Amino acid sequence: MPELRPSLSGSLLTIALRDAREQARDRVLLWATLALVAAAAVSLVTGAIALHGDAATYAAARAQLLALGKDAAAIAAPEFYPLKLLRGTIEQIEIMGAVIALVAGYRAAAAERGRQTLALILTRPLPHWAYGLAKILGGAALAAVALALVLVATGLLLRLVSGIGLGFGDAGRLALTWAAGVFYLTALFTLGFGLSLWAKSPVSGLIYAFALWILVVLVAPQIGDTMDPDNQVAGGVFAQLSVPKAEQDRIKAGFAGYESFRNGIEVASVTKHFERFTFAVLGIKDTYTGAPLDKVLAEKRGDLLFLFLFSLGLGGVVLLKPINPDRLTKES
Amino acid sequence: MPHATPAVSTRGLSKSHGETVVLHPLSLDVPQGEVFGFLGHNGAGKTTTIRLLTTLLAPTSGSACVAGHDVTAEPLKLRAAIGYLPENVRLYDQFTARENLLFFARLSGVADPVDAVRETLEFLDITALADRRVGTFSKGMRQRVGLAQAILHDPEVLFLDEPTSGLDPMGVRQLRAVIEKLHGRGMTIFMNTHLLSEVARSCTSIGVLAHGRLVFNDSMQAVADRYDEVGLEELYAGVAAAGVAA
Repeated sequence: MPELRPSLSGSLLTIALRDAREQARDRVLLWATLALVAAAAVSLVTGAIALHGDAATYAAARAQLLALGKDAAAIAAPEFYPLKLLRGTIEQIEIMGAVIALVAGYRAAAAERGRQTLALILTRPLPHWAYGLAKILGGAALAAVALALVLVATGLLLRLVSGIGLGFGDAGRLALTWAAGVFYLTALFTLGFGLSLWAKSPVSGLIYAFALWILVVLVAPQIGDTMDPDNQVAGGVFAQLSVPKAEQDRIKAGFAGYESFRNGIEVASVTKHFERFTFAVLGIKDTYTGAPLDKVLAEKRGDLLFLFLFSLGLGGVVLLKPINPDRLTKES
Repeated sequence: MPHATPAVSTRGLSKSHGETVVLHPLSLDVPQGEVFGFLGHNGAGKTTTIRLLTTLLAPTSGSACVAGHDVTAEPLKLRAAIGYLPENVRLYDQFTARENLLFFARLSGVADPVDAVRETLEFLDITALADRRVGTFSKGMRQRVGLAQAILHDPEVLFLDEPTSGLDPMGVRQLRAVIEKLHGRGMTIFMNTHLLSEVARSCTSIGVLAHGRLVFNDSMQAVADRYDEVGLEELYAGVAAAGVAA
């Protein structure tokens, strides 16, 4: 009898495509993505209304100055950077997108365990790590499609509410945001998938994944942020006490160890890196508004690298940790 | 006549979880072409043995070969030569029987998955179910599609874990007929079961496991010759009790 040996790439594609088809059929992910689009759209419209308010105030003030025969240049026109309006979209991806990715990862593992199909796949002639890789690639593909849908929909809406079309440069910035988002959501999908695959029951795995996410993504940065003395007073401690810059630096030098520890806690969050990168690329953070893309990238490539390495590291752990067959039949 | 190389061969194969020994060193040969019934009470270690032989679990000690391939040294070659039907398989509910089978055929590396699926559906007489969603199936229908995924690549050794569990009498009868057909094609079948009546009708040899130890292993012919008077049920009760006492 000829030996059966499927190609590795063929097996990966078979598993990933099956996952994608299943997700498309049960529509949970589709509805979740549409909910994300809707939430992002609400943020976008809110931002647009605020901007229109600023523009109207400026127009009224300008008209008043002109009516008084004064120079309208005395007041600055509000700057309009359409991509800044995507702040709400990014924040929705950070929170809602993360929840969707964790749940999608859980579902990818729980369904296979409960249906015994995991045992059927693992007794096929493909290495066990290839199964994990196929699931992660499937998750990344879903994240890529869902994010593309969210960004294209909000991009079109942006044109509608602002009346300004996005340029080639803007499209490039959106593409970078999309890439960072795919890394971010894939990492969280992998976390949900891995823990749901290994835990005694998949639901326990999902709870662990959420607990970890809340701890690392929400609690740790908040602790780090709170530990920053400069954040304890509105406008900053040093500014309020009128401490000169040189003196500030001298004081800070005495707390270098503390500051490294505090910053370490703050930057442990993958969400923080996603936010720092996208806020800079889209010009949402004032420091980077209108800054050339190459300058932004030179400064923020570390955040993108962190997102990439974080996804890669989590993926590596999932691929290397053996699957416990005693848990194949445990349902959710 | 049995072939020289056994389809399944174990030497001192054991499995422990920490201090708990699930399977004591097991040495067993199942010749090619046999329908081997593996009997034992719940928790005797039957499923663990199948999981060791299908490479789902790594042995604690000892060795095992299936279709001439070592479970630890050649897991991919071994998996290419086996079919496996776990207990209570549910498959992918959202997909039709054909879509489920195509998926597993592709993962098995079958040269022409569409043809292999069609032939298997015909062989099991379930072509009428092919384009219905598995989620709408009864337990018996699901079991037949589960069996189809296990044989569509024409494996040398087929592992069935409690294949009659939850089936109605007609389902059991249909399954028996399929096992007979597969046996007729020369396939070796290794079957975990509780049903002594099924063993008596379908199997050519049996092994009895009690608390992780093999306490009996012989051909059905020998059982019939030597234990005709006591019957299979009494034989099973006797050897299982002796195994517990040991």
